[in-house]
Amino acid sequence: MRNSMKVAKWEVKRNMKNKSFIIGLFLTPLIIIGFGFFGSWIGGDSEDESNEMTIFIDDQIGIMEELESLVHNSELGWELHATDVSEEDAMTEIEDTEATAYIYLNDASLLEGIVPVYTSEDTDAFFTNQLAVFQGPILAYQMNQLGLTEEQSAVISRGVYFAEMGAETEAIEEAAAPEEASEDDFLARMIPAAFGGIIFISIVFTGMAIFQSASQEKKDKIAEIILSSLTPGELMQGKIIGYFILGLIQAAVLLVFLIPFIMIQTDIPIFEYLFVPETLLFVFIAVLNYLMFAAIFVGIGATIEDVTTSGNFQGIVMMLPFLPFLFIGPVIGDPSGLWAQIGTYVPFTAPGVLLLRLTLLDVWPWMEIILSLAIIIVSTLLFIKLAGKIFKVGILMYGKNATPGEIWKWLKA
Amino acid sequence: MQTMLEVKGLNKSFKDKQVLKNISFEVKKGEIMAILGPNGAGKSTTIRNIMGILYPDEGSITFHNHKGKGIPQNKIGYLPEERGLYKNVKVMDILLYLADLKDYPLDKAKERILDYLKKFDLEGKENVSIEELSKGMGQKVQFIGAVIHEPELLILDEPFSGLDPVSQDIFKEEIRRLRDAGTSILLSSHQMNLVEEMCDRLFMIQRGEKVIYGTLDEVKTEYANFKCTIQGQNDIHLLETIPEVEHIEQDGDVSVLYLTKDVHPSRWVKHLPEDLNIQELSMNRVSLHEIFIDIATDKRLMTKEGEAHA
Repeated sequence: MRNSMKVAKWEVKRNMKNKSFIIGLFLTPLIIIGFGFFGSWIGGDSEDESNEMTIFIDDQIGIMEELESLVHNSELGWELHATDVSEEDAMTEIEDTEATAYIYLNDASLLEGIVPVYTSEDTDAFFTNQLAVFQGPILAYQMNQLGLTEEQSAVISRGVYFAEMGAETEAIEEAAAPEEASEDDFLARMIPAAFGGIIFISIVFTGMAIFQSASQEKKDKIAEIILSSLTPGELMQGKIIGYFILGLIQAAVLLVFLIPFIMIQTDIPIFEYLFVPETLLFVFIAVLNYLMFAAIFVGIGATIEDVTTSGNFQGIVMMLPFLPFLFIGPVIGDPSGLWAQIGTYVPFTAPGVLLLRLTLLDVWPWMEIILSLAIIIVSTLLFIKLAGKIFKVGILMYGKNATPGEIWKWLKA
Repeated sequence: MQTMLEVKGLNKSFKDKQVLKNISFEVKKGEIMAILGPNGAGKSTTIRNIMGILYPDEGSITFHNHKGKGIPQNKIGYLPEERGLYKNVKVMDILLYLADLKDYPLDKAKERILDYLKKFDLEGKENVSIEELSKGMGQKVQFIGAVIHEPELLILDEPFSGLDPVSQDIFKEEIRRLRDAGTSILLSSHQMNLVEEMCDRLFMIQRGEKVIYGTLDEVKTEYANFKCTIQGQNDIHLLETIPEVEHIEQDGDVSVLYLTKDVHPSRWVKHLPEDLNIQELSMNRVSLHEIFIDIATDKRLMTKEGEAHA
């Protein structure tokens, strides 16, 4: 164990002195934050566009005032102007302007039930839908013209709705109130899970580096020199521990950048949600996931001297950590469904799927969680043992990559 | 002399092929012991078994100065045949790491590293990245890595391969100096001339089997008979009349007469026929190199003869 710690210390020191590692360390959070800014910039931009709409109305029926107060009360941000430009002129007018519309309200159009609208080319796609807000005053005008009393108008314009009645009626009435509370609940689960997720992803990526490191050991032909001082098992453990620490450093750097960013951009009280027992479970799952894939990667790394000529077998194994991504869609669709259950019990996907499900589910299925954790722990131990066998032989095999047949033989030995 | 390492009855097979057959030898304190043999003879396999990188099927490896089980890794320095260093690290960092793995105090290691770099013409290179070093410089750094912790037993697998003559001399000198300071040295090589100059005892191996084992003097008197090289146009039938000649090799004007084991050179010269055409004549013992070539190419003329006389 003492020797393993020496190896771990060395791996950490070596990477922390490596320029490309340091650049990657700080670039990752910057890229994520960069995308955050980029996203809000695009989002903000599209909002602005919809706000600025100039609408000219040729109002022959005298409801302009009502329309103006309607727009004023809504958040549409439209600018209304009265106009007497003819429809033909409007056609030419909109060709040279942006975000402009001409609307013709007159008895002839109301009789047909179709109001002509001329819009400039770049008008927001939702504009015509948004115009539906004008339906109210227009209908009221029509009913008034037809000679209905205000009461009659009110009855007609209310329309007819179907409502399900029964024991749960009260619940429906109250539904509006707890919505806010459930959003809080969601954040309360989301934040620890996101924290676990960040650790999960940073150490998975550092886990990929462990593969590089084991393979490099062969390529640089230093394995035999190192192994004259310690056992292959100690070397392997040292690498796993070392890269685990590097993964934590990456996660820490990520959080140091991200947390202030999120706190500035939103007003979510992150720390309040973070320091809960759930966080521990999420981090525990992430750590187990790391150990499992680190073991697989260090073993596979020891079988490959030259990545460019490695076979399909190693390539497929390298893809394993990304397997949980396949489950994201089905699990979000139904967190207790068949796919979610399957994902929870397959060793390679269990940590990722479990993490996702626990975020989504209101009530935690403890039996499934415990069974899944047991599967993860047992398979992690198994993979570490198998990786040890592969590593011991593979790391000293010079000049060629191991074939799946050879690896199988070592596993049986 | 105190025995440091004892290898006894080593057998090792890869699949069906037996690569080591009953290999036994010792390395004593303060001596240079050489394992010689052609490529693929089993030199590196023997060494890897000693280092615990491979495990023998049969036989024992004993470190006499070591109580307890296993290999006294901290007392052994090892320069493997397949060797290299991490590329993107500094010379000082990697050497300190290697010293640390051997539990050698780091401040002392630092001092020794600087001394060695100076001795090996690498002064001021301690903060240079390994990838910027030439191949020869890299090998010097590897050598420093193997001896940095003052090992009692130093195992060098092909230490001279790929070195230029100047670096070879530096290594030879340093290996001798370590021997004189009491370090036991086991080295393998196929460069006979280098080994002949410096080893105290040697073990020659061919196809996993012992061929010769003994001190350099013993081996020479036992196996290295005299040979006489004559330059000049001579008929082979005339040469065949000369007594105490085992066999003759003739290549144009040059004739080499391999003499029998107990020949007394000055007395033998008197037997040379008067009409022999001699432009040049030299007499010397067959070199280790020739014995080696003989064994490697399976001619084994002299060795057989030697064994018959032994």
